[in-house]
This record gives sequence, structure tokens and C-alpha cells, in this order.
Amino acid sequence: MYADTQNDITRQVVRVAQLLLAYGAESELVEEISQRLGHALGLASVEISISSNSLVLTSLVHGRCITTTRRIREHGINMTIICELQRICLLTEKGLYGIREVRKRVSRIEPKTYPKRYLVPMIGLSCASFCHLFGGDVAACFITFIASSIGMFVRLSIAKHHFNLLLNFAVTAFVTTLIAQIGYHFDLTDTPKLPMAASVLMLVPGFPMINAISDMVKGHLSVGISRWGHATLLTVSSVIGITISMQLGGLLL
Amino acid sequence: MELILKLLNDAFFSAIPAVGFAMVFNVPKRFLPYCAIAGALGHSCRTLLLHFNLPIEWATFIAAALVGLVTIGFAKRHLAPPLMYAVAAIIPMIPGTYAFNTVIALVQLTAQSEISAELTSAVISNGLKTVFILGALSVGLAMPSLLYFRSRPVI
Repeated sequence: MYADTQNDITRQVVRVAQLLLAYGAESELVEEISQRLGHALGLASVEISISSNSLVLTSLVHGRCITTTRRIREHGINMTIICELQRICLLTEKGLYGIREVRKRVSRIEPKTYPKRYLVPMIGLSCASFCHLFGGDVAACFITFIASSIGMFVRLSIAKHHFNLLLNFAVTAFVTTLIAQIGYHFDLTDTPKLPMAASVLMLVPGFPMINAISDMVKGHLSVGISRWGHATLLTVSSVIGITISMQLGGLLL
Repeated sequence: MELILKLLNDAFFSAIPAVGFAMVFNVPKRFLPYCAIAGALGHSCRTLLLHFNLPIEWATFIAAALVGLVTIGFAKRHLAPPLMYAVAAIIPMIPGTYAFNTVIALVQLTAQSEISAELTSAVISNGLKTVFILGALSVGLAMPSLLYFRSRPVI
């Protein structure tokens, strides 16, 4: 294998690993996919070291090593991209794809998200179902629907302007709780506490938490801990938003 | 009969959040129904176990293991990572109310001038429940790959 071919393959593999990490895959999956892709493209071995915001990859073939580092910026979770990358890896392993096809398909990947007009009502309905599962009455579910829909709208609008995620969560939690507590101020429902608990559930960083624990269980302790720290920070900042809004409403002593 | 109705109600109202959060995680459209199935199955399994007076942590663990098993089946069929279905499916089981009560009690504790036993116990019991349920969820989800797919990839 010629040196520039190894360069090329290593670049594609590290690009795949970088995309996987940036769009929220767990470390075990990143390691597995990049090693399998490397083997399928003809590298003898691929070793990878992941830290909280960067990635080092070494490829070895014919006694020649290439080591390269990439910086990772979080882009939010996008399962479509992870699915696509996994498929590329599998097709390469079956021998259907060579380096040219991999390069073409990887360069064509673009993050697509669901449009706001579907996301906002769906999240409203989701939080309303949470409220129903917790035992709230119909009025409570309706308040939850309104509050979390408006909250999701605020969250997406802020996210569009690339504000810090922590700030986004605090503001969203503030707005959501402000609306959800109307059950306390007007006599609308018998269970005024449930809308407040259910409508902020859209801010629970479920994916980072599950990723964190599953990283730690599978032996990627430092990545797991840093993800756990991130999830905790997100929770704390939404709690700050909730607290301020409850104090404004006079619900906290 | 009442139990069956309760389980059906549970399954329906946990399928909605599973789909909603799957959309937040940008799961491709053709996989959304499978997220709904896995979510409904997991949450109603947990409700059934809770009905037989199992502690919530163990019920969550078993339900999450079931979700893990089912999603590996889906993943093998569609050649997609199993976590894609699984995380959306377990969202309805995330201990949101416990976490909410913990932090609210914590904030009330900071606002007071002296430590009150009532609030402290609320923080500790709710906090422990949160942590253990979360642990049960993710370890239960990883159970098939820890026990069965030890040295080979799932797909």
C-alpha cells in the first residue's frame, strides 16, 4: 500500500469517528465502527483514543504509522447521521464500497432535523402524556401541553441563534415553569403540581446520561465522566430557571 | 380486565413520548414506529412488574433489559445501531419526577437558614431513587451486550 493511500484511508476513518462523536454516539460504537471500517479498507490496525473534546487515531499498515488528532465540537444528537455512518461501515465490510465510495458518501452527509411545526406539538403531546401517566387530570394535561409546546418553541428559537446550551436550558425552563404554574394561581386543576413536574421533563438530558453510564460501564471512564458532568450542568442550569420562575410566582418560601 | 385496560392505557401514553423524543434525536422517519413499539413495551412491562409489588428499581431494570433485547432484534433487521431505538424507548421511564423533587427540595434547603430534617430526607430519598433508577435503566439496556454479545458486534 502506498503512503498516500494510507493517508487517504486514515483521513476518511478519522472523519467518520469525528462525525460519530460530534453527533452523539457512545464511545464503544465509535471505536467499533472506526476499527471495522479501517480493517475493511485495508489497514492492519486502527487504535483510537477518545477524550472529552478531541480524538486521536493511529493507523498501522506495513510497519508504517500515521497518527492524527481531531477536535470535536458537539452538534447535538442526530441519529440519522449515526445510522448512515453505520451503514457505510457495513457496506464497506461486505466489499461493496471502496475508499472512493466511502469518501463520496461521507462528504455528502448533512445534518437534517425535523421541522419545528412537527417537533413543537409532538413534544407538547409527549409531556402531556407524562402528566397523564403521573396521574394528572385533563386540565393538568392541557396546561402541560401548552407550557411544554411554548417551551419547546423557545428552545428551538434560541438554539437557532447558537447561544450557549446551558443558557438555552435555563431560559427554556424559566418560560416553561412560568406557564405551567398557572394551575396554582387560578383554580383550574386539582393537581397543580403535576404540570410543573411534567412540562420540564423535555429538558431532562436523557441521551447524554444514558451515554455517560453506558460509556462508564463499558470501560471508557473519562469520556463517561465528562458526559455525566455535562448532563449534570444542563440539569443544574434548568433548575436555576425553574427556581427563578417559582420564586416569581411565590411558590418557593 | 382492569389490569389489561391499565396496561393498554400505559402502552399508548408511553408510545407518544417515545416518538416525540425520537424526533428530537432525529431518528429517521421509517424507524419511528419501532421506537414507539419498544417504548410501549418497556413502560407497560414496568407497570406490570410494579403491579406485582416489585421495587421500582428492579422493575425498571427488567423492563430496560427487555427493551435492550427487543431493540437488538430491530437493529439486526434494519442494520442500524440498537441505541437509536433504545434511548427513545426508555425516555418514558426516566425518573423525571424524582429528579424534579430532589432539586426543588435542594433549592428550598439552600433558601432556609437552618437544616430541616424533612427537606433533607426528601433530598436524600428522592436523589437516591433518581440515581438508582437511572443506573438500572442504562445497565439493563446494556445487559444483552454484556451477557451475550461479549466479543462480537451486534450487527
